[in-house]
Amino acid sequence: MAKFSRIAIANRGEVAVRIIKACEEMGLETVLLHSEADINSRAFRMATKTICIGPAPTAESYLNIKANIDGALAGGAQAIHPGFGFLSENADFAEAVQKAGLTFIGPSAESIRSLGDKVHCKELAKRAGLPLVPGYQGENQTVAELIKQAEKIGYPVIVKAAAGGGGRGMKLIRDSADAAELIESAQREAQSAFGSPKVFLEKYLDRAKHIEFQVFGDSTGNVIHFFDRECSVQRRHQKIIEEATSPSLTDDLRRRMGEAACAIATLGKYKGAGTVEFLLQDGEFYLLEVNTRLQVEHPVTEEVLGVDLVKMQILTAEGNFVHDPKLIRSPRGHSIECRIYAENPYMGGVPSTGLLGRIEWPEGPGRRYEYGFSEGDTITSFYDPMIAKVIVWDESRSRAIQKMIRVLKDSIVFGVHTNIPYLIEILSHKEFVNGTMTTRFIETYFADALKEPELTESEKKMIESAMAELRGSPLASDPTTTSPWASFWRGV
Amino acid sequence: MKTQAQLIKGTLWIHLNGRTVAVDANQGRKSRKKGAGGSSDQINAPMPGKVTKILLKEGSVVQPGQAVLVMEAMKMEYTLKAEIAGEVESVSCSVGEQVVLGKTLVKIKPEAKT
Repeated sequence: MAKFSRIAIANRGEVAVRIIKACEEMGLETVLLHSEADINSRAFRMATKTICIGPAPTAESYLNIKANIDGALAGGAQAIHPGFGFLSENADFAEAVQKAGLTFIGPSAESIRSLGDKVHCKELAKRAGLPLVPGYQGENQTVAELIKQAEKIGYPVIVKAAAGGGGRGMKLIRDSADAAELIESAQREAQSAFGSPKVFLEKYLDRAKHIEFQVFGDSTGNVIHFFDRECSVQRRHQKIIEEATSPSLTDDLRRRMGEAACAIATLGKYKGAGTVEFLLQDGEFYLLEVNTRLQVEHPVTEEVLGVDLVKMQILTAEGNFVHDPKLIRSPRGHSIECRIYAENPYMGGVPSTGLLGRIEWPEGPGRRYEYGFSEGDTITSFYDPMIAKVIVWDESRSRAIQKMIRVLKDSIVFGVHTNIPYLIEILSHKEFVNGTMTTRFIETYFADALKEPELTESEKKMIESAMAELRGSPLASDPTTTSPWASFWRGV
Repeated sequence: MKTQAQLIKGTLWIHLNGRTVAVDANQGRKSRKKGAGGSSDQINAPMPGKVTKILLKEGSVVQPGQAVLVMEAMKMEYTLKAEIAGEVESVSCSVGEQVVLGKTLVKIKPEAKT
């Protein structure tokens, strides 16, 4: 049984912060393996030790296996936590980490290969008798062959990166006219994001819900599940809002899907935290993929079950974690997570970069924030636009929605535009409130760009008075009233 | 919650109950970053990022809605399309180039009205 004293983190942003927090709680030191661009970040300031592993482009730093391992060794770590994204689902990395005499905090390279490769995973699932969405997973990757297969499946068809995750390298083909362009684009994205251009095709289910089960294999190989999440609110195949537990499952469905999730994870000899994703349509569920890593949305599961999945991952890697049947509990209340992206909701969601000013996440019971940047840090165009996650918990789903709207309205991010106004619109929509949304929710009800609301007269006055105060005009300094700009900060 | 504001590099950011407005501090107008709208006869970079593919050459005939070039930023691909019919007059970027927000990437000569 290993005992770690220092853990290297091969990741950045809010996930690196999340792992550092778990390590600190366990009395472990951390080594942050970071790129040149991430010197001004919260994780950089929090880690016990930091080692620069290369320049900003991800291929030269966060995706560079050798640089990460060399960094971890130089930093004196015994184990590497890959977080999510980057190398977290890369079997070669897991293998190289073990070869270097370090422990990979995650499943074995063998498990990642059999479950993480979406194509291989489907073959495994077929053997286990799990229902699958019709598709093409062949070796022939020429555009002509892929188009031929897409026609055979019947449009709409979705093209996905075989090594993918996080919604990247994924395109929806509605008809043959766009097929070539979209397939090529998916192959390019797959190559640049995952280092392999391999894609596969799947029939697009048009009224489906996205349901996933958090599975966890302990040190003895015993797999249980930590219930379900629903992630139906997606844009460009990227999740925006997640919740636990799903408002759409009956007891019977929950039991059957949970059993299926554990069955495939057991077949893949799974250790540590993983997720089995399903599509649910008309009361039937289909296996979508298995994510052999921790997920962005893991906090909603932690909130309804009162567990710490990162701590459990580290204990499992030490060979020290066994599920305690007495402690396995039922979900309590409801939790929602919103991903905050640096993008302009009024301009079709184009990324927004810049120097961050004031950031404020309003505290209160049942509120949790995961973020990687603070005031004075810069959001660059090199990485993912997700800058923070806001998570709430409350006794019921409707209360959790209400709380989330309040929290978002009170959160302040200056310096970059964010999707907060977009999230508030979504949370207020009747389909979301009723829990009847499908993966097509956004394309059905929301245009690509949110319409920018007109400023009200009082809002215009507020802006004018802020401008006046900025210029030191007498207009702003009415001695009889308290200035509304009591907390007005004078620039950076 | 009280309204709050902060000046960052010439832009005044104001928080209004869940909405954040950015105002150009010198002009007092809402900060519409260049290139966001742009005029219809040129395609400007809507964000800082990398040009990954140029689909049309100078002199090519272009239709409204036709994809002209592909950019990548924050790990996502964005296809930039022509707004008007015409001919590609000039391409002022190259594949692999890192461009700044608002840079003019392609100019289109509008189709002559007949």
